[in-house]
Amino acid sequence: MHAAHEGITVLHGVSLSVAAGQVVALLGPNGAGKTTTLRVAAGAHPLQAGRLLLGGRDVTGANPRDLARAGVCLIPEGRGIFPDLSVRDNLWMMTFTGRTRSQIEEVAFARFPHLARFASRAAGTLSGGEQQMLALARGLATDPAVLLLDELSMGLAPLVVGRLYEQVAQIARQGVAVLIVEQFATAVLRIADHASVLVRGRIAWQGRPDSELRTELSALYLGSST
Amino acid sequence: MTSSTETRADRFVRKIAELKIPDPAAGRPRLWLRLGVAMMVAGLGLGVTAYLVSHRTTSSLVQGDATTIGLGGVTVSVVGAALFVRYSLTAFLRFWMARQSYDLTLLADRLLSATRDLAGTDPPR
Repeated sequence: MHAAHEGITVLHGVSLSVAAGQVVALLGPNGAGKTTTLRVAAGAHPLQAGRLLLGGRDVTGANPRDLARAGVCLIPEGRGIFPDLSVRDNLWMMTFTGRTRSQIEEVAFARFPHLARFASRAAGTLSGGEQQMLALARGLATDPAVLLLDELSMGLAPLVVGRLYEQVAQIARQGVAVLIVEQFATAVLRIADHASVLVRGRIAWQGRPDSELRTELSALYLGSST
Repeated sequence: MTSSTETRADRFVRKIAELKIPDPAAGRPRLWLRLGVAMMVAGLGLGVTAYLVSHRTTSSLVQGDATTIGLGGVTVSVVGAALFVRYSLTAFLRFWMARQSYDLTLLADRLLSATRDLAGTDPPR
């Protein structure tokens, strides 16, 4: 994939694949092109060159709404929830998939029972972890086949992040392909089956998350050679 | 056709296969939006041009041309404004209508609940 942002090329031939039930972590420093990669995968950012393949079909140029209806779910950095709407109303917004409100609430509250207690509260008054739970619940309510998560750990305590990633691992075990973009690698590498490191729009390393990756990450983040 | 044994991944592949992918050259909302703005500005320009042309001559023929240019400017502006409204405000209005619809449903629920209270029955929970 080659993609540009405001006229500047930010992805220089990035190639990634995620299988059903697999968790892939896309790591890298700030400005590496991680979020653009996710947006391209969701169909929300145009490609300059290259192809986006989903379910074996070339869907380059497809409408992101159609991809979302088919089962591609992007949870953006900053959670993408409506802070002035209640938790219930935030979930209601996901009825665009054709599911009823009660079906959506059933799925969301079954996965995150904690949220049911705050169903009538404005989403903006929830803690960061609860807001992220709501964002995940909204994503799950669409019955995704591909889940794209951008900086899930942003602004959250390590304990909360660990719990959220446990939920993500459970979601993947149900056959959902999960691509996670993270700047902070520790938590996500516990659940990732595969990791890729993106530096200045190019894949600098990819493979199974093991000690070699940790050494590589230290080198890439701290700028020393290996 | 869907079968009961179809997994989520199978369903996804089927939905993706059924997807209609538009020709990238067709339907460029941003281009239409810009064209709308350009036409509004062009209409204004034609109006000013018509005014200047008509005031720099005593010939009724030239003034007739200026009137035509002015009317053309109005038409171009109106079409441009229509394009601009179509491609800039529709998303907002769609959301607003959804919100209105939800508020009306809430109001109807409250009225029904109040009616049931008056009738002496418990409202549904």
